[in-house]
Amino acid sequence: MKILAIDTATSASSVALGDGDQLSAMSVRVDRRGHGGFLVPAIDFCFESAGWKPAEIDVITVDIGPGLFTGIRAGISTAQAIAAAIGAPMITVSSLTTLALRAATGRRRIWPVVDVRRGQYVTQPFRPVPGGVAPDGTPELVTADGLHHLLDSDAEDTLLVGDTDELPPKTLLGLHRVKRGRPRYPSADVLVEIAAIHAERGQYVRPEDVRPLYMREPDARINWSDFREEGVWPGEGS
Amino acid sequence: MNGPLILGVETSCDETGVAVVAGNEVLSTVLASQVDAHARFGGVVPEVAARAHVEAIRPMVHLALRQAGVHSDQLDAVAATRGPGLVGALMVGYSFAKAMAWTLGAPFIGVDHMEGHLFAPRLEHSDFQPPAVVLLASGGHSQVVHVRAWGEYEVLGATIDDAAGEAFDKIARFMGLGFPGGPAIDKTAEGGDPTIVRFPRALRDRPFDLSFSGLKTSVVTFLEKAKAAGSVPPLPDVSAAVQEAIVDVLVEKTFNAVEHTGVDRVAGGGGVLANRRLRERLAEEASERGVALYLPSPALCTDNGAMIAAAGEFRLERGDVTPWGLDVSSSLRLGS
Ligand SMILES: [Zn+2]
Repeated sequence: MKILAIDTATSASSVALGDGDQLSAMSVRVDRRGHGGFLVPAIDFCFESAGWKPAEIDVITVDIGPGLFTGIRAGISTAQAIAAAIGAPMITVSSLTTLALRAATGRRRIWPVVDVRRGQYVTQPFRPVPGGVAPDGTPELVTADGLHHLLDSDAEDTLLVGDTDELPPKTLLGLHRVKRGRPRYPSADVLVEIAAIHAERGQYVRPEDVRPLYMREPDARINWSDFREEGVWPGEGS
Repeated sequence: MNGPLILGVETSCDETGVAVVAGNEVLSTVLASQVDAHARFGGVVPEVAARAHVEAIRPMVHLALRQAGVHSDQLDAVAATRGPGLVGALMVGYSFAKAMAWTLGAPFIGVDHMEGHLFAPRLEHSDFQPPAVVLLASGGHSQVVHVRAWGEYEVLGATIDDAAGEAFDKIARFMGLGFPGGPAIDKTAEGGDPTIVRFPRALRDRPFDLSFSGLKTSVVTFLEKAKAAGSVPPLPDVSAAVQEAIVDVLVEKTFNAVEHTGVDRVAGGGGVLANRRLRERLAEEASERGVALYLPSPALCTDNGAMIAAAGEFRLERGDVTPWGLDVSSSLRLGS
């Protein structure tokens, strides 16, 4: 089972190749922009290092977010194109799951947090279970204050991972049961592990059904002062 | 089939265009238009555009290949728009095309969108060759280009404010005609009398440059005054007068460039070149001066994948293959 994993949902872009859950090659770059320049050279490097050909790939897995919209779309478009060209199925993974799985080391409940800009964050609680993590709620789009309240209302000891450096310092003020931890970014080697499990169970997604997990409507704001709402001939057709 | 088999992908703005071209023969060209998605905002919303591209890109590539009767591994190269345009929109088609080329082991060509427009006339007129003057006008750009040779371009003039298509959009919106404004005004102006009012023609003192923001202001002022006086002229007449003002300037600057360069070929590209009055006036002026006019059919004037494939073929033949590490560039400039 040869897996190609692509993760460009946050500032850290990564590509990995895995044979089952065994990592074969990996490339990483941390850069908020430039996902588009990183991806194909990184993929090329990984294939070269592993000595694999694209046609040998059995499944392609991609991080669909939440995270940076442009990065997510670059990753999905790249993954879809390779999947289309070799006829491989796909497996989609959320950036939150990826963060939580890497963080699972103990008994604390895990809250991965992803910065989606404009002062908004996405988070979702996970609990450690034997061999991994299980979601303990659904993803939520919150402000820093909203995140504070969510964490404050959790009666358990928690581990906060992900984009915690991006949070305003006051977010965690007075939250004594919350510990900050790693990882900071989702990563393609974790995608390989997750995809290996999904593939074993035959849980594939058709490439045409792969969509980004935005968690936010596009703000279709335009400058209305540039225009007048009504024409001079209201109701008059041509 | 003559010439290499090339897939062209265009996602710089609000149309997902994909085509398969062999030589100058268009084997297939498909388009997913987002006009409806943007109509309620009166303009293209970048995030809405990027989201629509990511849904359309895979089905459109599939459809273009199928309609051409071509299997992806027969392709000699894959070309995609690298810029200028909206970063989020460009990223989708460019990433898809680049990854596809890499997987197929085919060369990838990142194409300048404007160079794509310059090559569009060749798809229908095999005799179209530089030197020529080309008028490029759309919602995102307006410029007069001297094509000395393929790959050698001098931008003689450009808009100093709004693009021509943007002027159509803004004025149509103010007049309540809907989006996109160019086709709306073209349609409404039918049978209208353009002489009821003469809107100003800007930048008469600069031979090749364009300006349209003043026109919008004068249309607004004119209509507000007319409304206050209780004598608003018929909609077709005002539309025709607006269209005439925009067309006049575009034609004048184009032929100023023809005179200045001494070329005997004129061409056009961009959505505004689909305007019927502009096409008519360019044809009149060209025949009067004895220069040959090469206008692509309206479907090839607006953004499309075929023009990207055509420009891609030229670049491929010159050996200008794009390195895998080159990213999109939203501010790419023709001739620089
Ligand atoms: Zn264009």
